[in-house]
Amino acid sequence: MKTYLGVDVGSVTTKLALLNESDELVSHVYLLTQGKPIEAVQQGLREIRRQLPEDVDIGGVATTGSARYLAGVIVGADLVKNEITTHAVAALHYYPDVQTIIEIGGQDSKLTVVRDGIVIDFAMNTVCAAGTGSFLDHQALRLDMSIQELSQRALTSRTPVRIAGRCTVFAESDMVHKQQMGHSVEDILYGLCQALVRNYLGNVCLGKEIAAPIVFQGGVAFNQAIIRAFREEIDIEVIVPPHHEVMGAIGAALLVHEDMAASKTASQFRGFDQSEVKYHTSSFECKACPNHCEVAEISQDGHALARWGGRCDMWERVPTTQLQLSEESK
Amino acid sequence: MRVSLPHMGNLYVPCRAVFEQLGVDYVIPPVNNQRTLSLGSRYSPEGLCIPFKMTLGNMIESAEMGANTLLVPGGYGICRLGYYTRVQEQILQNLGYDIEVIQLGVSDRKFLGILDIIKRISNDSPWRRILSAFRFGMAKLNTIDQIERTVQKIRPVELVQGTVNQIYTRAINAIDNADDYDTLKRVRADYYEQLNQVPINQQANPLIVGVTGEFYVLLEPFSSFDIERELGKLGVEVRRATFISGWTKFTFFLNPFGINEKSRIQKAARPYLKRDIGGDGWESVGEKVLHAKEYDGLVHLAPFTCMPEIIAENIMPSTKENIPVLTILCDEQIAKAGVLTRLEAFVDLLERKRRSRNNKQRVTV
Repeated sequence: MKTYLGVDVGSVTTKLALLNESDELVSHVYLLTQGKPIEAVQQGLREIRRQLPEDVDIGGVATTGSARYLAGVIVGADLVKNEITTHAVAALHYYPDVQTIIEIGGQDSKLTVVRDGIVIDFAMNTVCAAGTGSFLDHQALRLDMSIQELSQRALTSRTPVRIAGRCTVFAESDMVHKQQMGHSVEDILYGLCQALVRNYLGNVCLGKEIAAPIVFQGGVAFNQAIIRAFREEIDIEVIVPPHHEVMGAIGAALLVHEDMAASKTASQFRGFDQSEVKYHTSSFECKACPNHCEVAEISQDGHALARWGGRCDMWERVPTTQLQLSEESK
Repeated sequence: MRVSLPHMGNLYVPCRAVFEQLGVDYVIPPVNNQRTLSLGSRYSPEGLCIPFKMTLGNMIESAEMGANTLLVPGGYGICRLGYYTRVQEQILQNLGYDIEVIQLGVSDRKFLGILDIIKRISNDSPWRRILSAFRFGMAKLNTIDQIERTVQKIRPVELVQGTVNQIYTRAINAIDNADDYDTLKRVRADYYEQLNQVPINQQANPLIVGVTGEFYVLLEPFSSFDIERELGKLGVEVRRATFISGWTKFTFFLNPFGINEKSRIQKAARPYLKRDIGGDGWESVGEKVLHAKEYDGLVHLAPFTCMPEIIAENIMPSTKENIPVLTILCDEQIAKAGVLTRLEAFVDLLERKRRSRNNKQRVTV
């Protein structure tokens, strides 16, 4: 069986999705990144392999998400694609007539505007993380409940209180204030969900037209209270795809399938055995010019596999040929 | 008196030429780097924009090198930029530097005021010498801009990535070192030749993206994440709205005589924005309207907290002339990784849009 693998390494979670030749989802994995993207990818690979029959052949692999370059080196990606594009591609695959894609993940939230099957505009939260999954996570932690419980209890609210959602810091102090005034936890929680939605519409959408059908994906789409708040606020039904949490990985797999079919080359996939290899990451300050860029390096058995982070491309060019020069300017 | 000036792109090259020709005692601070930004941010009010912080960093570094007179080219305009030199001077004095900051703005001093300052700084050189020094400076500026335009064209189609950037760095150094018109002419011919011999992909048909916005972040790549190079890496041909020579001519020579090079852009913006709102907000809107047919997309650079550009950002979606616009806020707190993700997605969007347009055309034919 020929398959295509998409790997989406986000700030909070790591997602893998495997598609077959007719782009159907064969298996997927969803796990926490926990600040260790390399280990998360390796664990994801192990879990995917466990779910698969022996005769599986990887026809192509693509990485996406904020650790896409790092993950790309580890798996030997044929394609490295940003998460805005992969999410849009996946949404369009399942809902060809979609006009608006709302995507809320751990650290960022995006809006993608689609017309006639083409992405025409997108927006992403800029200087503030209010209105993202981490915002909810943090509040759940503070109130000593799981994120699942937060969602369920918020749904039982009947008279939600208004929470200032401009910024996580203000929201938190406002929540404490409302709590000390004697409002019920349920009402405060739903108020928080509404604040997150208002923040998303105000800070990310910035007056862009939100037209139906709307697809809502990303980890936060697990939260039923947020979905209800969206429905109330924009008065349009939002569709949550069945595999909304792995849409980025699915999009990456779709794109690499398309690419490999066009180029007819063999995949550079480094194999499932990569999940056992020890990688070493480090960083140093380049002294070649006054910029003093921080350069990150990933190596295996003392050989640098890739480097990035400099303002010029001195380090990004193949490390082996540049090694001599590189060692001198460290 | 030891003169210095804050950086803005390659502005130091012509200024050095002028200082050299007039025998002025001067220092050029180190090119913009992380230390400049850290110093500038540490002593700036948090809510101010990145041009203020970067230039303050330059000023502190100049002061460390013994400068006591700082020249700041730029007008007073409508936005708070007009107060910047006064605030910066105050901050420098509070830090214990005995320093004078002179704003070379033509809008309030009138032309004669500028001439006075120039006369003073140049140790009372005869006007003939001053004029010839300025002419030579302008020649260097024009050369830089001609090289930059060629670089923008070749960078997206070069076969080996990074070749053009290396030639560009060498070219700027050579222009900086040229002492007379003959050398300058030779340098220009030489680097034109080098650039035109870079192996390129003949089949490539690069997307064309305009870059517009506030002039400082537009002209100072360090403050705006090297956006031109990054777009070039993604195979995009960049058309920048303002070049340093155009800006200099506008600020020093044309404005006082009432000639406004930008009137064409401003006229284009008029249906959506009737007046100057400070900074380059008016021009940003105009750029979109004027070039909608010619460009595939527009990248709009704005310093974080810049009022004029925020107004422009909010007007742009409603113009009838419709091309995708990506607004990027420039600030010391914003990580480059996030900006690159947006740029990649933006280029994907433009590419897919073009592909679908081509497909449609094929169907109708």
